[in-house]
Amino acid sequence: MGLIQRSRVKSPWILHFDNSSCNGCDIEILACLTPLYDVERFGMVNMGNPKHADILLITGPVNRRTARVLKNLYEQVPDPKVVVSVGTCASTGGVFHNCYNVLGGVDKVIPVDVYVPGCSVRPEAIIDGVVMALQKLAKL
Amino acid sequence: MMIKQFLFVLLILVGAPIVGGLLFGIDRKITARMQGRYGPPFIQPFYDFFKLLGKEHIAVSRMQFVWIYGYLVFMIASLVFLVMKSDFLLLVFLLGFAGVCLVLGGFSTKSPYAHFGANRELMQILAYEPVLLLLAIAIYAQNGSFLISEIFRQDKPLLFTLWPLFLAVLYVLTIKMRKSPFDISTCHHGHQEIVKGVTTEYSGPYFALYHLAEWYEIILLLGIISLFWTNPLWVGILIALAAFLLELFIDNITARMTVGWMVRLSWSVGLILGIINIAYIYYTKGVS
Amino acid sequence: MADQMMAIAVLLPVAAGFLVLAVRNYYARNVIVIATAIVLIANSILLALRGPFTYTPSGFDWGLLITILDYAILIFYLYVGITLRNWLVLIFALTQILPLAYFEFIMKAHVEVAPAFVVDHLALVMTMVISIIGSLICIFALRYMYDHEHHAGIEKSRQSRFLFWLVLFLGAMNGLVFANNLVWLYFFWEVTTLCSFQLISHDRTKEAIHNAARAVWMNSTGGTAFILAIIYLYATQGGSSALSMQSIIGGGIQSSIAVLPIALLCYTGFTKAAQMPFQSWLLGAMVAPTPVSALLHSSTMVKAGVYLVLRLAPVYAGTYLSVIIAIAGAFTFFAASALAVSQSTGKRVLAYSTIANLGLIIACAGINTPLSIAAAILLIIFHAISKGLLFLCAGTIEHQIWSRDIEDMEGLAAKAPLTTLITGVGILSMFLPPFGMLLGKWIALEAAYMVPLAAIFFVLASTLTIVFWTKWLGRLLQVLPKIERPFEKLSLSYSVPLWTLLIGIFVVGMGIGPIYQNFLRAATNDVVSGNQIIALGLNNLILITPSFMQREILGLFPVWPLYLILIVALLLPLMLIGVKPKELRPVYMCGEQTGGTDTDEWLAEADRKTKFQLGGFYYQGTLGEKRVNPWANAIAILLLVIMLGCGVIAI
Repeated sequence: MGLIQRSRVKSPWILHFDNSSCNGCDIEILACLTPLYDVERFGMVNMGNPKHADILLITGPVNRRTARVLKNLYEQVPDPKVVVSVGTCASTGGVFHNCYNVLGGVDKVIPVDVYVPGCSVRPEAIIDGVVMALQKLAKL
Repeated sequence: MMIKQFLFVLLILVGAPIVGGLLFGIDRKITARMQGRYGPPFIQPFYDFFKLLGKEHIAVSRMQFVWIYGYLVFMIASLVFLVMKSDFLLLVFLLGFAGVCLVLGGFSTKSPYAHFGANRELMQILAYEPVLLLLAIAIYAQNGSFLISEIFRQDKPLLFTLWPLFLAVLYVLTIKMRKSPFDISTCHHGHQEIVKGVTTEYSGPYFALYHLAEWYEIILLLGIISLFWTNPLWVGILIALAAFLLELFIDNITARMTVGWMVRLSWSVGLILGIINIAYIYYTKGVS
Repeated sequence: MADQMMAIAVLLPVAAGFLVLAVRNYYARNVIVIATAIVLIANSILLALRGPFTYTPSGFDWGLLITILDYAILIFYLYVGITLRNWLVLIFALTQILPLAYFEFIMKAHVEVAPAFVVDHLALVMTMVISIIGSLICIFALRYMYDHEHHAGIEKSRQSRFLFWLVLFLGAMNGLVFANNLVWLYFFWEVTTLCSFQLISHDRTKEAIHNAARAVWMNSTGGTAFILAIIYLYATQGGSSALSMQSIIGGGIQSSIAVLPIALLCYTGFTKAAQMPFQSWLLGAMVAPTPVSALLHSSTMVKAGVYLVLRLAPVYAGTYLSVIIAIAGAFTFFAASALAVSQSTGKRVLAYSTIANLGLIIACAGINTPLSIAAAILLIIFHAISKGLLFLCAGTIEHQIWSRDIEDMEGLAAKAPLTTLITGVGILSMFLPPFGMLLGKWIALEAAYMVPLAAIFFVLASTLTIVFWTKWLGRLLQVLPKIERPFEKLSLSYSVPLWTLLIGIFVVGMGIGPIYQNFLRAATNDVVSGNQIIALGLNNLILITPSFMQREILGLFPVWPLYLILIVALLLPLMLIGVKPKELRPVYMCGEQTGGTDTDEWLAEADRKTKFQLGGFYYQGTLGEKRVNPWANAIAILLLVIMLGCGVIAI
């Protein structure tokens, strides 16, 4: 594994985007940053800026308004990038499935690499999902 | 002699980013520990750097890349000036050019966030530049020369007479290290600026260049602080490292303040410290 | 030879002016002006190569002619005062006529000064600045005035009249720097005031005439002080030998008596150099067409003011007057820089920056060491080049977007990349290393500790300088992501002066070592003896200290290494970095932008497409004119009173 690929695995910077979730998963993502889980051990940092991000953590089902935003953000993340859909809603649409304004899961708009199911997702599961995403990133 | 000096400069140019990167790693580790976290490995900044190098090039304007190169090169040039023990006043002006490059890099995109950050960065320059210039004048007042080599020839450390300016320079260090309460234009990991301030539109390899410039910058700043005690130099370096740790502590116990507050504080407390210092030297030593 | 060269420098512009006034054909006029410009430039270079000399014109009673013209100008001011019902103009015209009449008729002064003209190195430096930069501005004005009238839809062209005064100005300035006889110097002084009145009021709008009248009365107060100084010197020192500039600065008069007239003459210099509290006439002059501003600010008019103060430096060396001049100049540097931050009109920023830099030059004269005098001369040269360039850029921009507002210049890099490039270099050359302006400021700061208060003002002002220039340049650079941006075409009359000045910045800046060694050192020695700068070839400028603490080297300015850094830092990336179309992304707008990369629209509430707008910060609340001016003017007036008070007490 080359230096750059090794660094990729060691330094995943995250963009967290909330489509139209109930905020349950968002709170769990923030919980990952707390001393208890401390994802910064793995070099993970929540960037809040697509131009600096490597991993998109997406929560909530895609609706007609956020689909456009999600696509724009995805295009602004420089390659190599991976997308993790966090939570059942982000993966499939969940309880909002077939709602009048909901398109469904994130994969309706952008390609998703890792699905993390759960309602809401536990922080361990999120970290596990990101680690899976990193394995994929290492191969890119 | 020339070759020896050249090799020394080369050594510093290669060594500075390594030590600077490590200092940032230590920064993150200690910050994490202060917050009750485990923290990333010490060499985390290098992982970040190489990862960024391997990312795709994306651009919002050509000029922003030109300015980030300018930022890096002028930062390195300032460091070379310090290592060559050249003119301190000119060093401050070169450092100013580096700051201006960063500001213009933010301005050269039509991004509201970068624009915000650039305006704030400009206010930061307004806050720290006069203190550094006053330091240059105070060094002249004390030593009769603007050359850094002259500081090394003195037996008595500058800290004894320039301690008010030393306090003001600590304040500058907080601004330049982008630590709370002055992480106003952009900031480091874990914090959230308005998106990412002046660096919002940099990405991939060019963002890596920004980090590289910051590593040089931290070495430069700590070098300037160690000038306060040059005989023997290791005391100065220890003082600089202590100042560095102090900044981490300040970062973790304070909240971010506003731009106006920063400029007002700098132009009142910082300048008064500097002016009192210069006035004191003027009245004790005179000019002729 | 001296005959012809003097005649070319002083009288050729006058003759060319009258010729231009007579010729009504656009192209014929252009040929005349360009030919005059070329002859003036060549003449100034030949003069510089020839070196210093003295000269007294003969064969004609020039003194009588000058006296008659003096009265003609003053009576014209009376006329202006009466027709405009501007009592200040009237009063200050009278305060000049009456003392002048007293001097001529009651004192029956017979002034005969030999030599009448002394061309020393300092005068040669000034004449090169005036002839070269002034001529380039005249060339620029040819096309500018054509476009100006075209755009305004003026039927009856008044370009001839404009060019007449513009060209005449150069002759008057050349005369002013050469004159040794104070009465003649006063005459040329008045001619420059007259030229500036005519040029500022050129557009004949109410505002233009009002501002021109203000320029006249403010400069007339200076003229009054000049006359009083002449009378005082003549009366106390007995005879016309006291009215020779060379004998005054050579210590030919009793220094205890000299302080008052010198303070008065410095006051005159302050008015012309638009120092606080006289800044408003120069700001008002901004209504004039841009070549006028360029001429007033870079090479003529205001430079006459600093020239006079600088010339007199040896007389007031070591006195309190000197310290007060240093502090007053430094204060102007600081206050004008602070005011420049709050300006949103490009030309007003330039105007405040000019006032600030003139303050710096005057402060350098006041500090009065060989180092600071050298800094002052360097600043005069580099300021003339950079500021001339910037005003011409402002004019070019104005004729591309038809606005002077910095907010309207947003994204100029997209509309006019070439103009932006030149403007950008011009702006950077005003305040950053390794350019000449910074070299001057750097020397000034290293010399400034002699007057610590001035040094502190320098520090604050140079920081504020960074802010307002960067802010302006930043506004020009905001562009949307796009690749193809071909350079725009500029008319030859625009591009020749622009490129010449741009190249001039680099040539003079990089060659400053030899230029200083061979030319400027002698000019410095004309003002103050002793030398504190050693130029080692092209490479290093080394400042050495005065006796203070016996350290040999004060500071070091590696000229070429710094330019090398500049090339590596900005020029190489500018040439080498390319961006491919597929790399372009839109800027981050929370993902709400409407589509492609080059859009600046986003979707606001209810999916309404909204163009997003950026604006500059102007800090009106803290640094606005309304807030700063009362304080700044009060302090400046206080300093002036102290300055004149020094003179009165010395008696």
